[in-house]
Amino acid sequence: MRLELREITKQFPGVLANDRISIAADRGKVLGLLGENGAGKTTLMNILSGLYRPDSGEILIDGTPRVFNDPAEAISAGIGMVHQHFMLVPVFDVVQSVALGAEPVTGAVRTFDRTTARARVVELSTQYGLDVDPDAKIENLPVGVRQRVEILKALYRKSDILVLDEPSAVLTPGETEELFTIIRGLAASGTTIIFITHKLNEVLEVADTITVLRRGRVAGTVLPSETNREELANLMVGRDVELTVTRGKAHPGEAVLEIKDVFVRNDRDEMAVRGANLEVHAGEIVAIAGVQGNGQTELVEAITGLRRVDSGHIRIAGATVDQAKPRKVSDLGVAHIPEDRMRDGLVKAMTVAENYILDSYHREPYSRGGRFDRTSIAREAQRGVDEFDIRTPSIETHVGNLSGGNQQKMIVAREFSRPVKLVVAAQPTRGLDVGSIEYIHKRIIEQRDAGAAILIVSTELDEVLALGDRVAVMFSGRIVGVLPSEQATKEAVGMLMGGVH
Amino acid sequence: MTATAAPVNGLVPAVSEAARRAQRSARIRGIVIAALGLIAFGLASGSMTTDVTFKFWLQQQGKAFAQVDTSPGELWILAGIATGVTGIWQLWRGAAVRWRLWLVLWLPFWVIAIMGHLLVGQTAVLTNLFSSSLEYAFPISMGAFAAMICERSGMFDIAVEGQMLVGACAASIAGSMALQWLGPDAGTIAGPIVGPTVAALSGMAIGLLMAWLAIRYHVDQIISGTVVNFGALGLTNFMYLRVLQTYTDYNTPPTIEKIQIPLLADVPVLGPIFFQGTPYMYIGWIVMVVLTYFIFRTRWGLRLRASGEYPQAAATVGINVIAIRYRAMLLAGAIAGFAGSYLSLHSAGSFQMNMSAGKGWIAIAAMIFGAWNPIGAFGAALVFGFADAAQQLLSITGVDIPPQFLASVPYIMTVIVVAGVVGRVRGPAMAGQPYEQG
Repeated sequence: MRLELREITKQFPGVLANDRISIAADRGKVLGLLGENGAGKTTLMNILSGLYRPDSGEILIDGTPRVFNDPAEAISAGIGMVHQHFMLVPVFDVVQSVALGAEPVTGAVRTFDRTTARARVVELSTQYGLDVDPDAKIENLPVGVRQRVEILKALYRKSDILVLDEPSAVLTPGETEELFTIIRGLAASGTTIIFITHKLNEVLEVADTITVLRRGRVAGTVLPSETNREELANLMVGRDVELTVTRGKAHPGEAVLEIKDVFVRNDRDEMAVRGANLEVHAGEIVAIAGVQGNGQTELVEAITGLRRVDSGHIRIAGATVDQAKPRKVSDLGVAHIPEDRMRDGLVKAMTVAENYILDSYHREPYSRGGRFDRTSIAREAQRGVDEFDIRTPSIETHVGNLSGGNQQKMIVAREFSRPVKLVVAAQPTRGLDVGSIEYIHKRIIEQRDAGAAILIVSTELDEVLALGDRVAVMFSGRIVGVLPSEQATKEAVGMLMGGVH
Repeated sequence: MTATAAPVNGLVPAVSEAARRAQRSARIRGIVIAALGLIAFGLASGSMTTDVTFKFWLQQQGKAFAQVDTSPGELWILAGIATGVTGIWQLWRGAAVRWRLWLVLWLPFWVIAIMGHLLVGQTAVLTNLFSSSLEYAFPISMGAFAAMICERSGMFDIAVEGQMLVGACAASIAGSMALQWLGPDAGTIAGPIVGPTVAALSGMAIGLLMAWLAIRYHVDQIISGTVVNFGALGLTNFMYLRVLQTYTDYNTPPTIEKIQIPLLADVPVLGPIFFQGTPYMYIGWIVMVVLTYFIFRTRWGLRLRASGEYPQAAATVGINVIAIRYRAMLLAGAIAGFAGSYLSLHSAGSFQMNMSAGKGWIAIAAMIFGAWNPIGAFGAALVFGFADAAQQLLSITGVDIPPQFLASVPYIMTVIVVAGVVGRVRGPAMAGQPYEQG
């Protein structure tokens, strides 16, 4: 079916999320919808799936205007969504998850007809080569399979239009390739596909047409054959962007961070890090690649003192920090850019100035004899704001009111305000706009050139490859390979990420 | 070759370390249990000569009976054997033993032995003990079902206690009114129907209030539930002191009597235990079976569970989560209110202040103990019901234990069960979390 959105506008308090957006996707074609976080992609999809109603504008399916009051109506119109955060109940099995909301029933009390549902799941799974075990519990499935369950959900509802929201965010490069094969197969059988992403390479590879969104508006619609990465990035950001990070040669010095046979447990008391070994030297960037959930989070927390080391040793600048408290680690000259900035990086309800001194409030010049020195706090915070180009109305603004990019700059400004020997940055650019990404990368490279050891953990392969002087790959709690940047190709790293040597 | 299979620096896989830890604690557990077995034998040696008699009614209370004469010593020996076997089994098989299940084997022997010990020289009618356990389990299991339906839908029902109390009060007043207005003949028939119905409706009204506060205004459900519980206590106390004490006619409802199930009631021993109870008891069993089927086998149950586990997932496939939660709160209110009517219409035959006496809270414990599963919750309610019945038996036979201590046994059981025996059970992920529709 042909899907067309005409002049869709949606206003939220203070934000015009969608401003007269028009897009169109033909039957059997893949429309790539490209845009940064905050460009209005998600709002547009929520309108399409019936979760929001547009303030004005029309949704046309095969030329007929349709209005969706709730998700059920969008589903019955043939629109299937694959959400970025999987909409699957962890304790359900595949059949239950797929059938939920469209259950075949028998009898007066509407008994769930599992046999019928299961047969259909098996049939669809075979037909489209999805290879999903219908009786497996969702929580036991790897993310790649969960995504296929989401696709099954849409197919089960006979969706002719399939919307995939950032589908590759959680996948390894190999799984992404498999997903593209599935997408091409679906398109060939007549499904209209809308592929939402912020990754330039992916739209170029899989889309038939590309529509770029910027700040709630359509910035342009182009054909992949007639465009390139630079043009797309320009459309996305509104100015020329340096896509490749320029960094000089590394001059590694002595080892600053030494990780030896480290085991760390996760919150569920399972061994998440199982014998990791790694060294990071002064003046080099080591980037850890890996699919989320392979122990990276726990390793970073162990290094920064947020989690106990179960066995093995971690040394920073010669000091053993296996059981050290975060403050001791930070006093050794460690800057930590945490993975979840709202949970571990900032206090949302405190001001920019207060957040700026969060790690050194107890020291001079911020405190004297147990009392804050407001003047020097304001002076230093203002300097950080100026130096790191943090866009905030004032240093008295609550951090929660800043944009994601500015919040991240805020953390970087604070962490780099002290003398730094080691930078531990987890997902330093997750969810940021291209401009902020560029800026934060630059600052990290500056620290390297000033002689700090840098450890970056990222699930974005592009980021790992762009920054790492050496690329380490973490799989199943171990560092399964360390490659110098010349050898760290997408293929080589991708294989290691999937657990293949 | 996969990375998991690759020996990294000759490290022992970490899994075995966790396993070793489990093995060590299993061994300690085995030693403790075996030691308890020895203690039981030790206790036996001193009490072989004293007597205790257990009596079972064959057909009906007060008629023909069967009798078992034994001594506490013999009971301790049985407990010792069961405990010792379990302990040795635990030592032998290590961490592979699901020790929480094995509790069912040896713990009851201890309970029997302790009771025998306390009842030395007396005759205890066990038929009555078991049938009252079932009766007392009714309000607790129904409260647990109510709380379970709520939590499965993603809500907390902390107000079970208040719903029961108001239900008890409303049932008594409504039943009495039916008796007053319809006269003794029709009223005696109508009362037992009107009373529980009004109780269920009053429970639904509280459920609706709670749902409205939580869903519409995102009021924390623990807080609103606590407020409702205190409100219910205050309101019913006021009704009792200011109204019902003066107009006692409105607090004398027709009571709900025990009925005999034809044929089954004549089965020796089992008849008096299982088939000579109040209609409430049978309704409780029916609710348990029906609820189990509905939660796990029907479309309603699937959607209910999805709303409690991951409401966004349910909403994106077109399920109205808000409606499901409202309906769940109403249904739970009806069940809890109905359970309350048991208190005033059966046990006492009138409403008394704070009649529920914490049964609603014990019900929530039973729900957790039963792992959010109707059959499990019923089993848990039976444990609490038994504690209650045993406590009454011991206090009636004049055992030399302070009655205040005996009365606290069911509550002490609750603490032990929830803190110790339950271990890690997992409830619905999003219970108590407000859900905002798009």
